[in-house]
Amino acid sequence: MVDDLETTLTRYFRLAAPPGLVDRALRGVPADAPDLAGLAARVRIEATPRGVSWIRLDHRRGPRRPPPSLHQEPMAPAKPALELGFSDRLLDGGGGATGPTRRIAEQARRELAEYLAGRRAFFSVPVDLTGVPDFQARVLHETSQIPFGDVASYADIANRIGHPRAARAVGNALGANPVPVIVPCHRVVRGDGTWGHYLFGERLKTRLLTLERSTPALVGCATTRIVCRHGCTHEQRVREDRRIVFASIGDAESVGYRPCRVCRPDD
Amino acid sequence: MDETAFARVAEEYAARLYTVAFRMLGNRADAEDAVQRTLLKCFAARRSYSPRWAVSTWLYHALANVCIDELRRRRPAAERPPRATAPATVERVDLARALDRVPREARLLLALHYVDGLSYKDLARIRGISINTVKSQLARGKAVLKATLAEGGDGGRP
Repeated sequence: MVDDLETTLTRYFRLAAPPGLVDRALRGVPADAPDLAGLAARVRIEATPRGVSWIRLDHRRGPRRPPPSLHQEPMAPAKPALELGFSDRLLDGGGGATGPTRRIAEQARRELAEYLAGRRAFFSVPVDLTGVPDFQARVLHETSQIPFGDVASYADIANRIGHPRAARAVGNALGANPVPVIVPCHRVVRGDGTWGHYLFGERLKTRLLTLERSTPALVGCATTRIVCRHGCTHEQRVREDRRIVFASIGDAESVGYRPCRVCRPDD
Repeated sequence: MDETAFARVAEEYAARLYTVAFRMLGNRADAEDAVQRTLLKCFAARRSYSPRWAVSTWLYHALANVCIDELRRRRPAAERPPRATAPATVERVDLARALDRVPREARLLLALHYVDGLSYKDLARIRGISINTVKSQLARGKAVLKATLAEGGDGGRP
């Protein structure tokens, strides 16, 4: 067998493409309009029992040609109970359909959909950064501290992790962000104020930052005098005429509101 | 290159791209994904394609980067569940296992070399390395394969 390695290799590498490959591969190639609401249905999520570990756009499911078998509304504002996308991957050794991994993937999908629809200003789903190199993990951690609607520069992040000359390395670390949007690498911009690159494309970075600047981050209830982050389950139950929007937690506390214990806007 | 030309090229090469990706990544889903990413990248960059490169070189160059990226991002901590694509013969199992031991770069070169019969010169151009590096990488890859097959394939088979 060792003697005829050549033949073995040739046989091993014989073409074996599944039928319909080209159609699937070319699907969605020109469909690139970054429609935020539709985006939620196109993300591909990988989760472990510890949290979300990977998020990317799935080009297989372009908005132009939805697979006929999949009747998934891109966004259902009234009932945000979104099913798992078929491309989601649960990395718990192929466990059950109701396990914690599945719940995490579902929660991530739901929160992403709410966020992209402007109904949520924070994420509570845990993130699993196991295996991410130390430097990148610190960059991601620091980035996740940038509040909703705010921005920081690559140099800021480099300073905060104690590597003031590593702004470019920060850019690379964020370009390889395993969980974009949840770790808000779109909130990191260039020092001169231009927006720089984004792993989902610059247009999408613009859309996300615009969305954040036009969405209130903190909402108080005039009856309970509790202030929540936008998207908290309690915030979603506040009546329209009792809602008060705050610019910062300091603002809210100065007029006697206390932070919600569930979404913890004071953290 | 316009869109119809691109579609034609994609059609011509999709199967070969897929086979390389499948042998590099080990499962259907990731392989299809890699092909798709490759075609997307090339489609986005189709205006900057210059005819002094062979189309195949251009496509394989992109595919190689996509595959290497994917392998790099796979983390040892998050073990993937084994796929249900059972290889047909014992020989294939052995070879698949042996190929897993071959370093990434050499494995990629082996796949490109055997799937499309690419010459050393093409391989060098695709990976941006010298022809001598291609030769030594291929030789090293085959040496690892031989060693692994020799130690693992004891008895059992004629």
